[in-house]
Amino acid sequence: MSERIVEIVPEAGLHARPASKFVETAGEYDATVEIARADSDDLVPAGSMIAVTSIGARSGEKVRLVAEGDDAEAALDALEQVLSTPEDELEEA
Amino acid sequence: MSTNIEKDDIDDLIPESHIALDDPPNEKSACIEYLLDLLVDAGRVDDREAALDALLAREEETTTGVGMGIGIPHAQTDAVSRPSVAFTRSDEGVDFGSMDDEPAKLLFMILVPKEGAEDHLAILSSLSRALMHEEVRDDLYAAETPAAVQAALREAVA
Repeated sequence: MSERIVEIVPEAGLHARPASKFVETAGEYDATVEIARADSDDLVPAGSMIAVTSIGARSGEKVRLVAEGDDAEAALDALEQVLSTPEDELEEA
Repeated sequence: MSTNIEKDDIDDLIPESHIALDDPPNEKSACIEYLLDLLVDAGRVDDREAALDALLAREEETTTGVGMGIGIPHAQTDAVSRPSVAFTRSDEGVDFGSMDDEPAKLLFMILVPKEGAEDHLAILSSLSRALMHEEVRDDLYAAETPAAVQAALREAVA
């Protein structure tokens, strides 16, 4: 199991386009990825839009990503990249 | 309102007049206008056109169909002077282009003034958190009156 803490960079938080890009990216890997607020153990599926919306993470806040599976590290790298990219630099989802 | 909505917020956010249980139009933009008109008729919206433009611009960015049969069109706009939520339910479902391809049957609208970013995220995340629970969705499907919808929401956010 791999885990990391990532800060949310997009100004609107984990919301709208960054959130849909995040969910889509999570779905591209075989690994099971879950997300929670950094200060919480309440993990929810990273591949579910409603679950990601429920986190309500604002810009500057931190989230915990937990991945399990063969490509877990690659999945976390890609998801960290999405969360670290300002919204205006995010390529079309 | 802090980072979560609470029981006591429900009456102000979504009074009974913001809830319609007769079938809404099953085309997405018509359904969005239907929800908006619940808020317009309740006197919450100062500028219908501006609110609609903001809602449709948000849908252009990416759909508010969040999956599990739920759509939550929303916008931050000064067309409203305080946070307002509306609800309707579609038997047939509305194609919101959700990632899970499920038509949206439980439909919420959230309008929050432009400076209300905190309220906006609080309402959106509280509602999403509540709606992830199957029993909350079941209560909303089973509700026969606006009061029953309010009761389900009060219980869900508690």
